Amino acid sequence: MAGTELFGTIEMVDVFLAMAITIVIASFVSLYRGIEGPGIFNRIIAVNVIGTKTIVLLVLIGFIYERPDFFDIALLYAILNFIMTIAATRY
Amino acid sequence: MSDTTTITNVLTVMFLLIGAFFMLAGTIGFVRFPDFYSRMHATGKCDTLGEGLMLVALIIYGGATFVSVKILFLIIFILLANPTSTHAIAKAAYDVGLEPWRKLDDEVVWLNAGNGDTDNTGNTSEGRTREDGGEVR
Repeated sequence: MAGTELFGTIEMVDVFLAMAITIVIASFVSLYRGIEGPGIFNRIIAVNVIGTKTIVLLVLIGFIYERPDFFDIALLYAILNFIMTIAATRY
Repeated sequence: MSDTTTITNVLTVMFLLIGAFFMLAGTIGFVRFPDFYSRMHATGKCDTLGEGLMLVALIIYGGATFVSVKILFLIIFILLANPTSTHAIAKAAYDVGLEPWRKLDDEVVWLNAGNGDTDNTGNTSEGRTREDGGEVR
């Protein structure tokens, strides 16, 4: 699975790395609304959005470095994110 | 490098690019929309779809292994949990009393200007404050 080439010299790992960088940039743009946004609900939904982006980021990191442990961490992170959001809104 | 690998890689890159497009569109909507509810409208759907597409791309890349089953569970859980949490946040905000965004009064006056009905020019515009004093968040 490692080092499969896409076209010529571009490998699949480079594509995954570019997607990971894109997700990180999108997370930082969302963090602007989390810091600046008026009211507490904008902050709650910003935390939710960043958490859901982090799940895909963890899976991509697991594919880049070829460590299957990261998928379990991504599953746990998804469950924690969901429970955190439900608890924050119930409170 | 056989043909099957090439097709798999091209499909993976296609799904990844479509998913990244949806995620970036959702993020731009989350920053640019004027209201809390419309921001949630942007993020709640675009993030779920973008994540689902990116994880489907990784399933295609990984093939039929145990890892793909884990990612499939992850997709199913995200498709269940993300709309649920979005609904919970929206209902909590509605119960607290956050009002949805409407057009400002001067824009409504501008829309009604053809009818000669200019009665409601009384409270135009201090910024984004509405007539009942509720502030748009």
